[in-house]
Amino acid sequence: MDKSVMVVGIDDSDHSLYALEWTLKHFFSPAPEKSPFKLVIVHAKPSATTAVGLTGPGAAEVLPYVERDLKIIASRVMEKSKEICAAKSVKDVIMEAIEGDPRNALCDAVDKHNASVLVVGSHGYGAIKRAVLGSVSDYCAHHAHCSVMIVKKPRKNTK
Amino acid sequence: MEKGIAEAFSSIPEGGGTAAIGAEEKKKVRVMVAIDDSGESFYSLQWVLDHVFGSRNNDEFLLSIVHVIEPFPTYMLPGAPAVFPSTSIVRSVNKAQEENASAILSRAIDMCTQTNQDVHINTSIIEGDPKEMICDLAEQMQVDLIVIGSRGLGKIKRALMGSVSNYVIHHAKCPVLVVKTPTTKSMSSNA
Repeated sequence: MDKSVMVVGIDDSDHSLYALEWTLKHFFSPAPEKSPFKLVIVHAKPSATTAVGLTGPGAAEVLPYVERDLKIIASRVMEKSKEICAAKSVKDVIMEAIEGDPRNALCDAVDKHNASVLVVGSHGYGAIKRAVLGSVSDYCAHHAHCSVMIVKKPRKNTK
Repeated sequence: MEKGIAEAFSSIPEGGGTAAIGAEEKKKVRVMVAIDDSGESFYSLQWVLDHVFGSRNNDEFLLSIVHVIEPFPTYMLPGAPAVFPSTSIVRSVNKAQEENASAILSRAIDMCTQTNQDVHINTSIIEGDPKEMICDLAEQMQVDLIVIGSRGLGKIKRALMGSVSNYVIHHAKCPVLVVKTPTTKSMSSNA
């Protein structure tokens, strides 16, 4: 039986790693082999030019350092997600790192793998922050060609 | 003789004693599916039944199906002559809405029992603004996942007509799954 594909978008934040853990807990346990989904983890690494955003004369010198930093962050994120998968004994995982804007990268990954679900974390920004900072989860929810699951990390409220 | 009793216990299938204790310790995963009149929301219910409840032990899940009735507006736009609908009209509209709601829910329950016999279901009919009611009810019932369909409106239509799924994504305190009905174009390309 063909398994449907589930793409999980990961970045450097706690929220997306929480989303990965939540997804594994609810969809891939206790028996990962019997799960109806095949897991694909996608990390969108922003390119150095978008991260720096400078066009001044000093930009060219800074870029190599920024690029190296981003690569380190990217590999750390991939390592962490591999650890989380191993901890839940999920073995059949495809991991991908794509360079570029996360919004487009995730939607393209969905099309490439013909996914049926895209899972993203959410920072839980309010309306203003979301408009200013931009929201990948918002964009994906509207533009991905498949169902989208947005996982929020519960806020630690003192009740 | 003790050995004989021990052997008798070991022959009981594992689903008997230990599994029941395990289920009590584990908290049930609550999934709430919001249903209205549209085909998209029934598609989302079917999707959940196929993918989430498919191969798992269905004792762990509690499926809540919720239908929200929008209240009949009893006011008119400013500038228009102030005509209030008479109570008999309001009453008949309410009755029609309630009948519609129970028809929708029984369709949903039929769909569930056809796909999967063992799922625990409870249903609710609430009145009010769908977006707010879904978020409030999800918080009250402490659900783990809200499932909602998407009509696939474009940006402008969504801003003008309002989108329940958009509101729920932003305001719900728990994970939200937006199920999109595949368009006929994508379905024919897959076939």
